[in-house]
Amino acid sequence: MKSIPKLIRRFFSVLLISLFLILFLNFALLYLVTARSRANAGGWDMADKVSAALIKNENGQYILGTNEGQDMGQILKTGNTWAILIDKNNLEVTWHSEDLPSEIPLKYDINMISFLSRAYLKDYPTTTSNHSDGLIVLGFPKDRYWKHIYNTFDYQIIANAPKLLWLFLTVNLFLILFIYLTVTTKLLKTLGPIVDGIQTLPDGQEVYIKEIGLFSEIAQAINRTSEKLRTQERKLRKQEQARANWIAGVSHDIRTPLSMIMGYAGQLEDSPALNQEQHEKAAVIQQQSIRMKNLINDLNLASKLEYNMQPLHTELSDIIPIIRQTVVDFMNLDVENKFPIDWEIDESLTMCMALADKELLKRAVSNLIINAQVHNPQGCILHISVIYQDEICSILVEDDGIGISEEQLLALKNTPHYMLCDSNTNGQRHGLGLMIVRQIAQAHGGTLEFDHGKNGGFLAVIRIPAFLS
Amino acid sequence: MTYDYLKEKKLLLVDDEKDLLTMLVSILSEAGYHNIQTASTVKEALDICRKWQPQLAVLDVMLPDGDGFSLLKEIRRTQDFPVLFLTARGEDEDKFEGLGIGADDYMVKPFLPKELILRINGILRRCYKEETPLVHLAYCSIDFERAEIIREDGHLPLTAKEYELLSALSRNAGRIVTIDMLCEALWGDNPYGYENSLMAHIRRIREKIEQVPSQPESLITVKGLGYKLITKEGHK
Repeated sequence: MKSIPKLIRRFFSVLLISLFLILFLNFALLYLVTARSRANAGGWDMADKVSAALIKNENGQYILGTNEGQDMGQILKTGNTWAILIDKNNLEVTWHSEDLPSEIPLKYDINMISFLSRAYLKDYPTTTSNHSDGLIVLGFPKDRYWKHIYNTFDYQIIANAPKLLWLFLTVNLFLILFIYLTVTTKLLKTLGPIVDGIQTLPDGQEVYIKEIGLFSEIAQAINRTSEKLRTQERKLRKQEQARANWIAGVSHDIRTPLSMIMGYAGQLEDSPALNQEQHEKAAVIQQQSIRMKNLINDLNLASKLEYNMQPLHTELSDIIPIIRQTVVDFMNLDVENKFPIDWEIDESLTMCMALADKELLKRAVSNLIINAQVHNPQGCILHISVIYQDEICSILVEDDGIGISEEQLLALKNTPHYMLCDSNTNGQRHGLGLMIVRQIAQAHGGTLEFDHGKNGGFLAVIRIPAFLS
Repeated sequence: MTYDYLKEKKLLLVDDEKDLLTMLVSILSEAGYHNIQTASTVKEALDICRKWQPQLAVLDVMLPDGDGFSLLKEIRRTQDFPVLFLTARGEDEDKFEGLGIGADDYMVKPFLPKELILRINGILRRCYKEETPLVHLAYCSIDFERAEIIREDGHLPLTAKEYELLSALSRNAGRIVTIDMLCEALWGDNPYGYENSLMAHIRRIREKIEQVPSQPESLITVKGLGYKLITKEGHK
């Protein structure tokens, strides 16, 4: 499928956008959530403020004053926070705030100080600050802070943090892509035959898709459609075959009786026992039987060509001799010289090769000549020429007879023959002869065109693909 | 040329349609043939072949006890007389099969009686040559036996090519023979590019047979298409 790279590209851009959106959203949420508790932060800061506000008066007593206009004593009180000052010389508490919990010792050793500075004192989270006389220690309510006690990190990790962040991000991305590709490939594997099947359906080929997996129902539906199409096609083919067979059968069965009519009529026509009038009547029977004979042949060939049951015996051949022979056959038959044929061909055109079925091509040219003869019973001159141009061989059959009107020409060009019509036609019907010529031209990959002739007659042109050598 | 001796030939007609047989006999008798026997089945036909030894047979393809193709194969095992198929089966395949197994001609019903007679005449003429008669032209005669032209002022020999050319034309006397057919007769299956040679041969023949070669009366050119030999007996 051509759309796979497009699919992956699209998915990837969607993925990247979503990832960034997720990150952004998370940071935003974090900010919102921590906004309220940020006021509680700054335990260390407060210790510094207390340290700055604790001043010794002239009597050697410590007084907790104000810092930047804030009454620190009041702040400690409202915050349920206590504070002590540990003397730097004897490690004894030399000052403490009001409401100091009783379990807080008043004498410290160096280990205690080390512990309280990074952790807790009697479970009270503590912060410290330097004071000129020792160390200020603030103790907060037990549910105020959570302290990170073992707060050392590998130096390299911190130093490489940006790189590591990118690495993590990339690995995650690749992981997601891998998962996506695996899932998609699996999906496409089951989807592929279905898409192929749907694409094949219009070509009329048989389609069968294994009815398993996620899309088994769709596969089933496609299989059913394919089967139905094929059944319909078979039915249609059968119908066409029956129709062609029927026409072939009728035309076969009519041949023997018609032979007898023609045979005896021919005999009577020449019989010395009959008078002139009877001879003429016999001649009419004979002529009409010949018309019927031609009609039967035409009907059979036309139906076969229409239903593609006429096997084409094409071979690469020079078509000029074929046409020349056809023309000569007619001239040899035309003893009275009623339909003289003027053969026009450029002398330089000695050869014109095409993939042609000789018999059918002969038939096509014959039909055009017969057409001219039938429509001009008083006789006419036929101009037959072969022209080669741009890999197309044109066979022109033109007469100087009565010709046809503009309306007739239009009808001939546009109205399908009644044999090919799916509706009842009451309009003018032309014979099978021209229809066969068109079918033969088409079977050779060519066309049949009609026009008025130069001399007022009728012009028919067969064009088929050809080449010079 | 007279071919009366051909009318003596023994003809066998095979068709399952009795009425058609009657008509065929009537047509052929009118054309002068009087040695005719008919058969309606394969068995009858084989019987007649064995006992009567016909010299030409007209066979139908569909017979009540078999088909004409196998009948012909059966006949060919022992006899070699010419055979013409006359049948309602007009498909190309049938024609190819019939001609392929050795029939001399194949005609599809319905047919014109004249055409049948002409074809039978033609087959007999080709198969039973007695002596090659002289062909008479406007100013001379052709003696095919000796390959020469007989003129009032003496005899002129024909070259091999001239002989072939004249015999092809005289076989179709009175009818146009296309350039392509003549080239094929002279140079075989691949007769392309010989048109100028053909014209040269025609010119030489005219020098031999015409009184005024530049105004031919016997060997006529049909421009672009072919040539026609006009004989004294030939139908115009």
